[in-house]
Parts: sequence; structure tokens; C-alpha cells
Amino acid sequence: MSDLDRQIEQLKKCEPLKESEVKALCLKAMEILVEESNVQRVDAPVTICGDIHGQFYDMKELFKVGGDCPKTNYLFLGDFVDRGFYSVETFLLLLALKVRYPDRITLIRGNHESRQITQVYGFYDECLRKYGSVNVWRYCTDIFDYLSLSALIENKIFSVHGGLSPAISTLDQIRTIDRKQEVPHDGAMCDLLWSDPEDIVDGWGLSPRGAGFLFGGSVVTSFNHTNNIDYICRAHQLVMEGYKWMFNNQIVTVWSAPNYCYSRCGNVAAILELDENLNKQFRVFDAAPQESRGAPAKKPAPDYFL
Amino acid sequence: MGAQEKSQGNANSMQDELGINFEFLVEVRLIFSCSVVLVVKLDLDSFCLYAMHFPKEALERVKVYRLNEDGKWDDQGTGHVTVDYLERSEELALFVFDEEDNETLLLHRISPDDIYRKQEDTIISWRDSEYSTELALSFQEPTGCSYIWDHICNVQRNLHFNSLNNETFHTMNSELRELPAVELSTLPIILKTVTESGIADQMRLTELILNDQDFFQKLMELFRICEDLENVDGLHMIFKIIKGIILLNSPQVFEKIFGDELIMDIIGSLEYDPDVPEVQHYRNFLKEHVVFKEAIPIKNPMVLSKIHQTYRVGYLKDVVLARVLDEATVASLNSIIHSNNAIVISLLKDDSTFIQELFARLRSPTTSAESKKTLVYFLHEFCCLSKSLQMVQQLRLFRDLMNEGIFDIITDALQSQDKKLVLTGTDILILFLNQDPNLLRSYVVRQEGIPLLGLLVKGMITDFGEDMHCQFLEILRSLLDSFTLSGAQRDTIIDIFYERHLGQLIDVIILSCPSDGAGQSTSKLASSAGRVESQNSTKPEILLNICELLCFCVVHHPYRIKCNFLLNNVIDKVLLLTWRREKYLVVAAVRFVRTILRHDDHLINHFVKNNLLKPVVDAFVANGNRYNVLNSAVLELFEYIRKENLKLLVKYLVDSFWNQLVKFDYLASVHSLKVKYEQCLENCGAKTNVNALDPRKRIDERALEKEEEDYFNEDSDEEDTASASNTQKGQSQPVLSNGVAASYPSLSPRSGGLVDYDDDEDDEDYRPPPRKHAETSEEDEGTMESLRLKRKLTTKEKEPDLAKKQRLGKSSKSRDSLFAAWCSTLSQAVLPSKKTANAMHISTRSPEGNKGLGEENHVDKESGSPRSSDNNSSSSEEDNLVDKEPPRNCSDCLHSPSDNRQLSGEDCPLIPPKSSPEMAVNGS
Repeated sequence: MSDLDRQIEQLKKCEPLKESEVKALCLKAMEILVEESNVQRVDAPVTICGDIHGQFYDMKELFKVGGDCPKTNYLFLGDFVDRGFYSVETFLLLLALKVRYPDRITLIRGNHESRQITQVYGFYDECLRKYGSVNVWRYCTDIFDYLSLSALIENKIFSVHGGLSPAISTLDQIRTIDRKQEVPHDGAMCDLLWSDPEDIVDGWGLSPRGAGFLFGGSVVTSFNHTNNIDYICRAHQLVMEGYKWMFNNQIVTVWSAPNYCYSRCGNVAAILELDENLNKQFRVFDAAPQESRGAPAKKPAPDYFL
Repeated sequence: MGAQEKSQGNANSMQDELGINFEFLVEVRLIFSCSVVLVVKLDLDSFCLYAMHFPKEALERVKVYRLNEDGKWDDQGTGHVTVDYLERSEELALFVFDEEDNETLLLHRISPDDIYRKQEDTIISWRDSEYSTELALSFQEPTGCSYIWDHICNVQRNLHFNSLNNETFHTMNSELRELPAVELSTLPIILKTVTESGIADQMRLTELILNDQDFFQKLMELFRICEDLENVDGLHMIFKIIKGIILLNSPQVFEKIFGDELIMDIIGSLEYDPDVPEVQHYRNFLKEHVVFKEAIPIKNPMVLSKIHQTYRVGYLKDVVLARVLDEATVASLNSIIHSNNAIVISLLKDDSTFIQELFARLRSPTTSAESKKTLVYFLHEFCCLSKSLQMVQQLRLFRDLMNEGIFDIITDALQSQDKKLVLTGTDILILFLNQDPNLLRSYVVRQEGIPLLGLLVKGMITDFGEDMHCQFLEILRSLLDSFTLSGAQRDTIIDIFYERHLGQLIDVIILSCPSDGAGQSTSKLASSAGRVESQNSTKPEILLNICELLCFCVVHHPYRIKCNFLLNNVIDKVLLLTWRREKYLVVAAVRFVRTILRHDDHLINHFVKNNLLKPVVDAFVANGNRYNVLNSAVLELFEYIRKENLKLLVKYLVDSFWNQLVKFDYLASVHSLKVKYEQCLENCGAKTNVNALDPRKRIDERALEKEEEDYFNEDSDEEDTASASNTQKGQSQPVLSNGVAASYPSLSPRSGGLVDYDDDEDDEDYRPPPRKHAETSEEDEGTMESLRLKRKLTTKEKEPDLAKKQRLGKSSKSRDSLFAAWCSTLSQAVLPSKKTANAMHISTRSPEGNKGLGEENHVDKESGSPRSSDNNSSSSEEDNLVDKEPPRNCSDCLHSPSDNRQLSGEDCPLIPPKSSPEMAVNGS
């Protein structure tokens, strides 16, 4: 068994890797991710997953429902970290799978894959707590910069974490984004990761999130038409039923963090399975039962001065 | 927004009435506008504070206010608030009973609607439909307010998700009177009481538990009996009871159960989780495996007790109950740990003999290396935990540690062969930097501190094997940060760094990159063939860090780094990285170029002269059609050059590399670059007779920072004339010497993109949404649209101008000769013909030009963005100016002002670089 396979097994048990292993993994991941395009092409069949937010055991539930990684192809739409208690394990497992099966799993960037955001919403603190230093956080956030911004499934389904940008009307315009940077506060890259579709908005509207835009049905129609795509698949917003179509099936939100936000929201989660002919099947799943939540989160320091 | 404003309105009127300061509310509102979730966090935080140190009575004490018709708040009386069930109902309500006569002052059914507002931190208000007015509760204690607020939120959540467990609340509807005696037989009843206690009864339950002095002793006795008898059911019940009691989150209960006598048994009882298949061995771990290390013996028993308690509570929180605890309880446990740490650190730091002994041992030559190591580890933990102190105290402690010589100790540690020790040293430095960067900075500028900076640079380029060592980069960044540093200290550090260490970093790059790329000018190797393995084993992540630091320097010390680069030709050495096999290093090198061009376009000429974009283009070409980060990064660089109208670079890129780039013509960015190039040619032809020798284009060296505006003006001017000529005489497009028609193609994406697009040009127009605060879009399309709009608007009115300009021309040259002239001047700029450029520059300076520039600066400063679409004012001003100015020859229209300045700044000995105001600005 290779080191990587062993690490994947370890991560599947929700045991974080050692700093040195994280470092090696990140360097390998960097080599792979740097070769990916801003609009990463993905072949069907593929299963699309929305936000995970460090809910490790719920992600295991996801794999139970959707099938294990190399057998099923996966596309994750970002927001792997923050909020949940296991951002480290969640992201590292996905990254290890990416390194192990680069063609079988695609990871794109969410708005939480950012230095600024993770310092507020938990990933930074979690790294500090689990490793005693923020080095792991630094390595992981460096990797975030290399993550692709969107994906295109069989030229027909555009997938992105947030939504559209007024600066982007064709997929080709995404090409000239130098994505290797912290998520900016505005501009195309920011919008792709932050925007939301909104019923009551006609055209573009101000986003209450303070970044990105709200966009209405006409924007989606025009985008889909221009780029000759069937629909847009995105994540970024909690939907109680796990998925939600909008604008006459032109855009769908997929949300994969059940009972989101420390078990407060009571929502179910969903993934979208596409077969080789792009037939859709949503699989809805619930939070992992309490008893399946395994080993303790933290290995305590074996010694202490104070 | 409406709701918020309304709540502020309430707040203000309440402020009048109660004389309360509402600063807090304002703060929350501010945060709210940036981030919704942060507010949620705040609420949780305030919730965590609840019931820490207050008697129940005080927590519940409120005044009830009601908004009368005059818009004033009427005091309805003072009483105690509770959340309880409405009679014969499952609905929860807020009750306030008068503290004197126990009359019901308020009865309000909690609504699932979002009508409640928490103001300041002691007021909850809402619009009450039954009273049909605004009501408000003003709490005596903020903690009480948080507590009730959280109740309301909880009730609402339950209402929302229909998960109201009727059963639970029914059984607990009657007031809890007493707890049964603790016996094996009563465990089920106790368990039921603990776990099924509704929110309203939890305070009562806590009270009962605390009143019974022996409750825990008896429970733990039972636990030991059950354990001896292997009574699994009993053990499971006790587990659940303890878990439930911990989740009551009462500080007084915690104080009891975390005491020395009880804590191990409590942890023991938590080994029997019925949800976990096998029994855990927490006590065994704590007793057998955990080592308490004493670097310096601690004599104070209270300190010792706190140290152990802290570890155990942390263990309880992170391991034993990690998956069980709710956020509020975690926060309470954290606050216990936090305050314990503060006590321990305080007592130790005030124990002067302790600190003195610590440093004496660290300094003593007789102390063994091994115990010195232990002492440094201790020091690290000590500094780490000092975060629990108040800011001022921590700062004082760190100053004391510095005066004791902690940085000397770290300097020693950094020279150790033991990598773990080295990294611990850097961790301590990071703690200091986080607290107050000036402490370390003030040390580093001292004579004895100089070696430390060197060690940090050395650390950054040292291979730490599998260990992470990104903290070196972090520390250096913090030391070199020009945004937070001030004055002489900064300059000294930066001086030392540039004089002694920058070269070191560059050497690492040189040594670790293939030498093939070194001779840039002579290198005609096929680029892909040149990409060979490095001879040297420097880890790529080290090179990545170096590149990162160099980019940081470009941003932070533009002047300083420029001098170094120009003197030492460092750019092409960094660009050796493009020869590396690792694509992320190639990308890093491109980013370095991008950073320079963004921050210092005075270096453009240097780039052109030294053919510095060659490695970038080579890397791009070698990358072929792969659509990856490298491809995007270079395309973005091309876009930047085109959008910023860096004509010299446009000209240089196309002239030098079009043969290589032509096969990428299908990419919109590459194609547009060529279009831009052709526009420049065309425009030059159109403009030559007009504003040639425009003095504004030959800006005085000292007005160095304004070239963007000049570009802008030049840009719009040129676009206008170009479009004019396009629309008016579209058929007479010139054929360039290379045989390519200089057309004005649409900017629609080329074929060969990801998908086929309909031929709908309008679609790619950037339609900026109505966004008040948004800056004028930086997107090309935004500019394009505004320009197109403007073109439409100005075509007619521009035409006379154009004619006028042409009349003003000294001579009317043919297009071909213009082009030739243009190219020759460009090549003068490109090839080092210093005297020509310089002489030309000086000879064309004129007072009017300077004056014109001054005015223009003023105008443009106001417009803020050089590419603001509102450019009519400046361009009309330009037109006015044109008339006054003598004609200039066509070289200037492609000589962007900065290029001229660059030439003179670089070559003209008359103007010492330091006298430039730009340098003063950058250097200060």
C-alpha cells in the first residue's frame, strides 16, 4: 500500500495527517492543480456535490449514497472548509483523493476557500487547534489558490460555486483570469464564487453578502444561450430540500451539507448524479447518525509544561 | 435595511427615554453590513456569557416598556421574565411578573416571525400584534438579556422546523420541585429529570443540584460501585446524567465537578458512552501516558493544581466530549481554560525568581544542550499561553522577556542542528510579531540583532526536509512590511535586508535553475528543449517562497527594489525559474513579472531593452495549447498590457514574438493584442501631424506618478481618432509592411474557444449592474463599452477637431513614412540609444507642458480612476491644450510618458534619482 493510500485510509477514519504529510500532499496537489483550467472540462458520468463545510461524517454519508471515489466520478463545487468541526480532515481527504485519482474527482473553489474567510469561520482556528500552529492552514490556503474556478460537463452543464458575473458573458472570458491569488473583493473571479441567483431581481442586483451580485432569470437565459449550455449547476446557498431549480430549470442549486451549521438548520442534503447521457438523478441524504461519528477529533498532546 | 433602520429608530427613541448609550447597536449594524453570519456569532458569544456569575433573580429582572401614541416609551413596571408555556397550550410565551405584587406585567406568545430586535446588549424589542404597539424589555444584566434572547431564538427555530417535541415539554410542564436521593434505583428518574428537562426547568435543576452538597459525591460513589459490579446499564445511565449535567452549562457546577477530588471520576464516568461500542480509557491515558514536564520546578500548589485542571478540562472538551458538546458549553469550557491560563501565567511572571532562574539557566554555559532545549520548549508554551492575559499585560510580559534577552536565546536556538528546536524558535518569534511587531523589529536593527535577520533568511532557504517552515517567510514579511512599519526602524531593516540578503535569495534561484536560460540574449534554444532538470537540489517550495518574498518586496519597496533590479539585473535571474520543470514555479515567475508591471511601470523600458518578456513568452509558447494556470496567467498579463495601454510593451511583444504568438491568434487575448498593436500604428499615423510634440507627453521627471492619466487621455484620444477614421474612411485601411491588413476586428471571442458561440457581439458587452459604490469596472468590456458609447457620441464632434489638428500639423507625411518613423523611434527606445532619447526628451520640455500637466493632474485626481468612463472633461481639456502646443513628432505618441521618464531617470545624470518626489513618496 502506498503512502497515499494509507493516508486516504487514515483520513477516512477522520484522523488528520501529520504536518509533514500535509506538506508532501499539498506539493503533489499543486502540480496537478496547476495544470487544470479555469473552466475545467469534466466528462459524464459524474456526481456533483455542493457545500460540505467540514461536516466530515456527513461527507462520508455522501460517499455512501453516491459511491466510493474512484468508482464514481465526483465534482465538488467548493466550500469544503469552515463551520463544521472537521474542515482539516474533510479537505485533506478530498485533496488526497484528487492526488490519487486526478481524473476521477474535480475540486473547484468556493468562497470559503480563502485566507480571509477561513480566518473568521473556523478553518484557521481548527488548524491552530489541531496542529498547534497555522502552518497547515498556510499550506492549504496556498492550495486553494490553485483550485479551478468552474467546470464544464460535456460542454452542456456549467458548474460554479456561486454564480455568474456581469464581467463574464462567455466561458472564454474566464480563461484570462489569473486564478492563482486570494479571492479578490470584486471582479469576475470574486463574482463566480460569491453571486446568487434571485427570483425578484431583474438583471443584476446588489448582493446582501457584500461580494458578488444577485442575478435574475434573464441573465441566466442569456448566458446559457450564448454559451450553448443546458443549465448551470451551482452551490453556495442552503436549500432545505438539498437542491432547488430556478428560472424554469435553467439553474440548479445543490447543497450537500445536511443539518447545516452545527446541526441547527435541519435541512437535508443532495447530490446530483449525471449518467453518461446527462440524465439527472438527485440523491437526497440526511446527516450521519450520531453513533456513526467515530473517533475523537483531537489527539491530545502527550505532555505539557503548563 | 428597512428593518434595521426601523430598529435604529426605536433605539433612538429609547435612548431619549432611558439615557442609554447605543454605541453597541451601531457596531452591530456595521458588522451586519459586512457579514450576516458574524452577527450570529456575536449572539452566540453573548449567549456564552450568560449566567456566569449572576444570581437568577438579577438575570430575570427587567423593565417593561411600551411605545405610546406620542412615540414615547412608557414604563410599565419592573419584574422577572421567564419563558414558559401558555396555559393549556403547547405554545411558549414570555411572561413578566411584577417583582412586588406578582401581577402579570406582560404575556407575549413567542412568534415565529422575525419581529424581535436585540438592541444595545440589554434590550429586546418587538412589535406586538396583540398590543398593536412596540414593546421592549430592558434587562438589568446583559447576560440575562442574552439568555432570554437565545430562548426566543430557540423557540423560533423549533417553530420553524416543526421539531417541537411535545412529549418532552408536556412531562416537564409542572415546576420541578426536588431531586430524588441518589441511589441506584433512582438513577432512571434522575436521568429523566436531567435529560428531559425543558429549557424553562434547567435553571431550577441546576439550583437543585448545587443545593445538594453531596449530589456528586454520591453519584460518583454509585459510579465506582457500578464499575466494580460491571453494571453496564447503570454506567450508561450515569454517563448520560453527567453528560446532561455538563450540558446545563453552569459555571458553579463546573467549579464543583472539575475540582481535584471529582474530576477523575467524572472523566471515568464518561468512558461508558452507550453510543460508542467499546469502553474508552481516558483515565488510563491521563494517568499513565500523559507526562507533566517541569522545566523549572513550580512551587506554588495553586498554580500546579490549575495547570493540571486546565489540561484535563481541555482533554474533556477536545477528546472525551468532543462530539457531544454544544457551542455554548464549549465556550464555557474554553473560558475556564482561558482564565486558568491567565492565572498561571500571571503568577509565574510575577514570580521574579522564577523568570530569573529560567533565563539564568538558558544562558548558563553549564546547562546541557538537552535541558536548554526543554527550556526553550517551555518558553514557547509560556509565550503561547500568555495570549490569555489581557493585551496590556501580555505586552508588558513580552517586553520583560525581551529585556531578559529572549531574542538572544532564539538566535541561539535558530543556529541549532535540531530542526524542531529551530522551528520552535520561529514559533516564539511569530507570537511576538502577532503581539507587537515592533519588539522584534527594534531588536533586529540593533547591532546584536543583525545575525537574527540573517538566520531567518537562511532558514527560509534551508531544506527542512519534511517539516513545514513557511513561518520564516511569514516572519520576514512582517519585518519588511512597509505598510505597518514606520520611520527609521523600517529603513534600517530594509537596508540591511537589501544589502546583505536579497542577493542570497537570488543566488539560490541562479544555482537551482538550468544555466541554459541564463544568456537571455544569446539563447536561441528551442524553449522546450531547454527545460532540463535542475542541477541543484533546492526544494521547489523554497524557490516558491523566494519568489513570493520578492513579489512582496516589489509591492512594499518599489523604489528600493527598482534600484536593485536595475543595478543587478535581477529580473532576468528570477525569470530563470521559467526554465524549471515545475509549472508552479514558472507561474510564480510570471506572477513576479506581473507584480512588477502592476506596481512600477517605469520599468517597462527596462523590460523592453533587456528583452525580459522573452522567457515568459517562451514559457507560454512551450506550454502550447494547454489551458492551465500558466496559460491563463500569461493571457492575463497580455490583457493587462493591452488594457493599460502599455504601448511600448504592445509594440515590443508583437514585434519580437508575433512569429511565435501567431499560432495563438485564436485566443481572444492574443488576437486583441495584435489589434491593439495595429491600432497603435494606425493611430500614430492619424495623430502625427496633430499633437506631435505635445509637451504633456514629455512630462517632467519629477511628475512621475501621473502617467496613468496620460495613458488614459492618450488612450481615449486615440480610440476616438481611430474609430473616427474607421467609420469615416473604413475602406482605406493601411496594409502593414508584414502584409497583414490593419483592420478593426470585433473583439468577439475567436473560434477555438471552449464552446461555439452565437454570433452575438452584444452579449459580451459588460453591462455593469446598478451598483452605487462599485468602482468603475476594471473589466475591459466595461471600458470597451464606454469607449464605444463615446465613439458614437464623439465621432461627429471629434471630426472638426481632427481636421483642426491636421491643419496644425507641421507637415503632412504619408502613412508609410509615418509608420517608418514610428518604428525607428520605437527601436530607439528599445535599443539602448541613450543619447537620442535623452536629448529628445530634454529639448522638448516646455513650461506650457508642465503647466498643462499640473492642471490635468488636478482633474484626474478627482476622477479617481484613470479609466473612469467620465472622461469627457479631460479629453476636451486635452483638445484645448492641443491648440496651444507645438506639434511634436510621431515618436511621442508611442513613447508613453513613463518610458521617456524611464529613460531619463535611468540615464540622465543630471537628475539624481533621490531628488524625485516619487522616490520620496516611496521611500518614506
